[in-house]
Amino acid sequence: MIVEGDVLAIPRANIDTDQIIPARYLTRIDADGMGEHLFAGMTDGPELLLRHPTASIVVTGENFGCGSSREHAAWALCGRGFAAVIAPSFARIFSENAYTNALLPIVLPHHTVDMLMATRRIRIDVESETLWADDGERIRFALDPLRKQFVLGGGFLPYLHAKIPAVRAWEAAR
Amino acid sequence: MSRSLFDKLWDAHVVEELPGGNALVFMDLVVAHEITTPAGAIAIANDFEDRLYDPARIVAMIDHVAPAKDSATALQAQTVRSWAKRHAITFHDIGDNGICHVLVPERGYVAPGMTVCCGDSHTCTLGALGAFALGIGTTAQAGAMLAGCLILQRPKVMRVEVTGALGNDATAKDLALTVIATIGFRGGTGYVLEYTGSAIRALSMEQRMTLCNMAIESGATTGIIAADETTAAYLAATRGAPSGWQAEAADPDAVYAATVTIDGSAVRPVVSWGTNPGECSPIDGVVPFDAPEESLTYMDLRPGQVLTSIAVDQAFIGSCTNSRIGDLRAAADVLRGRRVAVPTIITPGSQAVRRQAEREGLHDVFQDAGALWTHSSCGPCLGMSMGVLAPGTRCVSSSNRNFPGRMGDGGRVHLAAPAVVAASAILGRLGSPAEIAESAAVPA
Repeated sequence: MIVEGDVLAIPRANIDTDQIIPARYLTRIDADGMGEHLFAGMTDGPELLLRHPTASIVVTGENFGCGSSREHAAWALCGRGFAAVIAPSFARIFSENAYTNALLPIVLPHHTVDMLMATRRIRIDVESETLWADDGERIRFALDPLRKQFVLGGGFLPYLHAKIPAVRAWEAAR
Repeated sequence: MSRSLFDKLWDAHVVEELPGGNALVFMDLVVAHEITTPAGAIAIANDFEDRLYDPARIVAMIDHVAPAKDSATALQAQTVRSWAKRHAITFHDIGDNGICHVLVPERGYVAPGMTVCCGDSHTCTLGALGAFALGIGTTAQAGAMLAGCLILQRPKVMRVEVTGALGNDATAKDLALTVIATIGFRGGTGYVLEYTGSAIRALSMEQRMTLCNMAIESGATTGIIAADETTAAYLAATRGAPSGWQAEAADPDAVYAATVTIDGSAVRPVVSWGTNPGECSPIDGVVPFDAPEESLTYMDLRPGQVLTSIAVDQAFIGSCTNSRIGDLRAAADVLRGRRVAVPTIITPGSQAVRRQAEREGLHDVFQDAGALWTHSSCGPCLGMSMGVLAPGTRCVSSSNRNFPGRMGDGGRVHLAAPAVVAASAILGRLGSPAEIAESAAVPA
């Protein structure tokens, strides 16, 4: 699986989920329509998106997605056509939500992320956990080996559904 | 191998080890509210024949927007309401509801040793009862409702030891903020915070909930406190609470990935000045000279500014952090016989808390002071329904997040304990209860 796209660089740490999508938009019973509210809580968010209309990969600072558990943050990024977020670190819940929605949360060291901020376009090979910046430099990264399969098309809920007999057996023997 | 309290809970709930350090972890209880549950419930209905692992392990309620504010939130509530009815899931509708993290312990749904998850980051609150409780996304919650389990990476454990005793008017909220300021806003990421020490053991159950509630604000998976006689007394007094639980504790020689020690007697009342909860300082101090410029620009503050000189436009007492009866009593003690100088919203954490407050006459204290006394909901905390801030205005709040825009676009939030919020509401600026204790009360 190859993911290739233009970069939206947000050189700041701690972009919380209230900035990614404010709570006033969490009023639906499905994941639809969240993309239009992406970064609505970020002071320069809407302007950033206007300036980078073709971007599909976010490159940003530490602790992206901190705060609320709202999966709407991942839905909003996916809904707007984003396929990956590259950062030195992610908040746990955001990272889990990203994987279940086939949005790649790619962790790389600070200096690599800083270098990628200046990149216009990135190509990502999910299977081999490799990406290329537009100067051709090859960078390796590591995905969660289990959750990677949820990105590659194996569904999260079907995976858990298949575990039900094992869970029932465990509970009965508890 | 000597184990921490968290290790014991984890080990007792692992159904299966999975690749990459993941595990299938059994959930004793799934808490479901109207904002994050509908999409998952619908996915199960559409794709998995509407079959839940065990409806008896789910408790549902309306908590964020109660009652519905518009057609969209009404549909969210109705979706959860009809789903709960269809599956005979225990459900707390408006009138009998509350913020899930207040209602769940108050109704006896959680006991020491349990695992609990909810599509809400502040589920860590329930670690106060010696449970492993954590927030997760909508799909993970759906997975727990479908298969009884979460997929989790095993977190490391950080021991947060608070020695001595809290003094100097410091509260559990001040301790919670001090812990975040000490380990850093993302310093807890990848960890569970296991709170120990004499200052922790001296906290009431409600105060422990306030402390654990904010574990997520350091990035931690959750916070946890070993059950003791305080826990036992709380559960014994809680109608419906389980009685057969066993108190687990860390082994005396338990090994921790990290340890932090905080002198409880040095904790002072604090207030946040920045845009994350770790950016806070003692209320009698100043905005730090090394404060990040970006935070100060958003907050319209300057380094060295005296915190008690900062005027506020609104005050809010409520949220899953500080809306329990003890919080309301603390606020009432400050407000009794005085008048608020700015619009002040006081929102109890549950309808049961509301009724208790009214039995004690606190609603009269609040309303005599000119505050708005509301029914229970998440209220202004997340800028979703009532009490939203106007751009550029400043609110002193007993809630948990001061992120940019959290309580409304361009709104600025200063986090503090309920008594500090009450004092600030009277003063019209950030201020401490000690300041107004010196002034005479005016006739109501």
